[in-house]
Amino acid sequence: MLVFERVAIGSGHGIRCTRCHPDNESPVYHPAAQVLAAVQAVVDTWHGGPGPNVTLTGPEPFAHPELPGMVAGAIDAGVHRLRLEVDGGAFARPGNAEGALGAGVRHVQVTLLGGTEGVHDALAGGPGAFDAATTGMAALDDAIRTAGVAAIVTVLVPVCRHNVADLPAAVGAAVQAGAASVLLRLEDGGIDLEAAAPWITAACDTGVVNGVWVEVEGVPFCVLPAYDLHLASTVRATGGAKPAAVCHACPLDRVCSGGPEGASAETMSAFAPPAGAERLAQAVSRSRGGAR
Amino acid sequence: MTDRTRPLHVALLALNSSGYQSLALGYLRAYAQADDRLKGKAAFTTLDLTVDLDPWWVAWRVLGMEPDVLGISVTCWNARAVYEVCRIVAEVRPETVIVLGGPEVGPIAEDVLRERPAVHAVVRGEGERTFAELLHAFASGGKAWRVDGVTTRKLDEIVSAPDRALIENLDVVPSPYLTGVMSPIEGGAYLETYRGCPHRCGYCFEGKGYGRIRSFSHERIAAEIAAVAGAPQIRTFSFIDPVFNLTGERLTWLADTLEPYAASGVRLHTIEVDIERIDEAAARELKRAGVASVETGPQTTGEAALSACRRTFDAERFADGVAACRRAGISVECDLIVGLPGDDAHSFLAGLRFAIGLDPGIVQSSTLHVLPGTDLWMRAPELGLSFDPEPPHEIIATPDVGYRDLRRAEVLAVSVQAAYRARV
Ligand code: SF4
Ligand code: SF4
Repeated sequence: MLVFERVAIGSGHGIRCTRCHPDNESPVYHPAAQVLAAVQAVVDTWHGGPGPNVTLTGPEPFAHPELPGMVAGAIDAGVHRLRLEVDGGAFARPGNAEGALGAGVRHVQVTLLGGTEGVHDALAGGPGAFDAATTGMAALDDAIRTAGVAAIVTVLVPVCRHNVADLPAAVGAAVQAGAASVLLRLEDGGIDLEAAAPWITAACDTGVVNGVWVEVEGVPFCVLPAYDLHLASTVRATGGAKPAAVCHACPLDRVCSGGPEGASAETMSAFAPPAGAERLAQAVSRSRGGAR
Repeated sequence: MTDRTRPLHVALLALNSSGYQSLALGYLRAYAQADDRLKGKAAFTTLDLTVDLDPWWVAWRVLGMEPDVLGISVTCWNARAVYEVCRIVAEVRPETVIVLGGPEVGPIAEDVLRERPAVHAVVRGEGERTFAELLHAFASGGKAWRVDGVTTRKLDEIVSAPDRALIENLDVVPSPYLTGVMSPIEGGAYLETYRGCPHRCGYCFEGKGYGRIRSFSHERIAAEIAAVAGAPQIRTFSFIDPVFNLTGERLTWLADTLEPYAASGVRLHTIEVDIERIDEAAARELKRAGVASVETGPQTTGEAALSACRRTFDAERFADGVAACRRAGISVECDLIVGLPGDDAHSFLAGLRFAIGLDPGIVQSSTLHVLPGTDLWMRAPELGLSFDPEPPHEIIATPDVGYRDLRRAEVLAVSVQAAYRARV
């Protein structure tokens, strides 16, 4: 419902699974002027929905030497909602949370690779990362309350075969740290979706009973029957993998973004038009403002 | 209650949201105090407390006053706490006569008496005249069960006297502000310029309960505005009128009356409007009246739900109204209801998407409460609505959406609203 345009602050990636990506290249940051020119272009061409809203993506923003200037520049350019994608650790350091809020950051997305120290630290590639992330989130949550500003912390969990069993715990950790919502994004084309489904549904339920929404990307409707609301929300992954032969006969084809990108044939063998697909397709189209 | 030599001590209790005071109790007291027959026969104390207080401490305050009559205003929000207070008070001081009134109990008066032995009487419908008559009966040894608009016990039987006609001329109800019964509090003071509603939304008591529109006189409204907006402590207040822009002429008159106070910085918050009838000119009038924020629907955009709830909705006019308010610098709160009959979770999301897309300022959703006396309450079996019979009567499931998806939709809406609100 809320659209955020993505603007990269550099090449390279933020925190992600080191087992899936053992050869993580070192980040190269773009100069602030280049980032701000891209932000300005977003503002100038904003399409009219609530906004402009921008997510600064790419490598860890708190390692960018010109972050304060970029944030101030984006707000001056007219951005209403500025989101940072972070590993969370920087907020554990005194002053960072207050500084970010004071400069106008209102959305912070912290990446958790697991819900426990064992999983997160192992996948993040070093000890202490989980503690830093959760301490940082709690500090940010405190700073938001103290400042009395409308700002939110959300959690992104990039899901792969190495952390799938830790998803309910990851949602639990997000709840504990005061997150407003959690996004589970399946990024592993080789993951066994059927085996992953119980962990994903348990993670969704953990969120709901704690009043925190869990959105799922990269899982098709047919793999998570009765969890369609978790798949049909705000921003969807596009271009996910679908086995054309099955999906073209499925009424949900027009609203379903399929499995994770690069999904293997084995993964896709789980796909089959689910019961009640036509009715669900109509309902989902309706909720997205499409055909009635 | 037999003939008495000393005045009845009447305690009036409301359990409000924090920062608010009960206008209903203000009216009850102002009307009863002005009743010549009760002069010297009844003395009043008002306890305006908050609903989050422990009922045991509320009972403590009540019992400390040793009232002969305890009158309590009951809504779906405070009913559970009220019933607990009643139980404790009745146990400790059985001689206190407990009288309940308000939209939560009036339409189900006999059930309330059957299920709550601590309660002696329920005032049904518009309360001012009925409550005063009831006090008169208590003070003079009359029969409570003969008082129109009252449901009570006659020996072991529960009896309902005939309904009482609505008050024709509302000006006979003295103003709580002008009589000094209430002093306006910053942000929490409300005025009422009329009763009734032009609409008949199925989930709402307002359209059902009070029927046709009856207005206070212009003189009375102007005097109340002067008393509240002119009070030195007041910078913001509001109106409880269901539709502030009831007619163009009325809106202009209200703007004329409020303009001097607006010019000195007094602002009106969360004014309920029919947004589809707001154009540039109406938005200017609202601004002139000092309106800083308005509250409106759409509640739902789903055709089936609109029809089940007897509401109309024109997306284009709605969007134009929001845009006109925003251009005039007025913040708009768009309200949505989760769980209306005819809506499934996805059609609720469509409404949420529509509201967010208008960028109104605030989007707020709440879960359907199937309130006693409303159209939905009466049609619940026909519509297949499953809801909690205990207050606040939250919807549990409908034929269109099950329990789990309802809870999901609630959580999802809160998350979307928080994300929308989070902006510089
Ligand atoms: S079969 Fe239908 S639900 Fe499953 S992936 Fe294909 S389009 Fe999506
Ligand atoms: S919801 Fe509002 S408009 Fe509808 S009947 Fe009730 S008060 Fe009137």
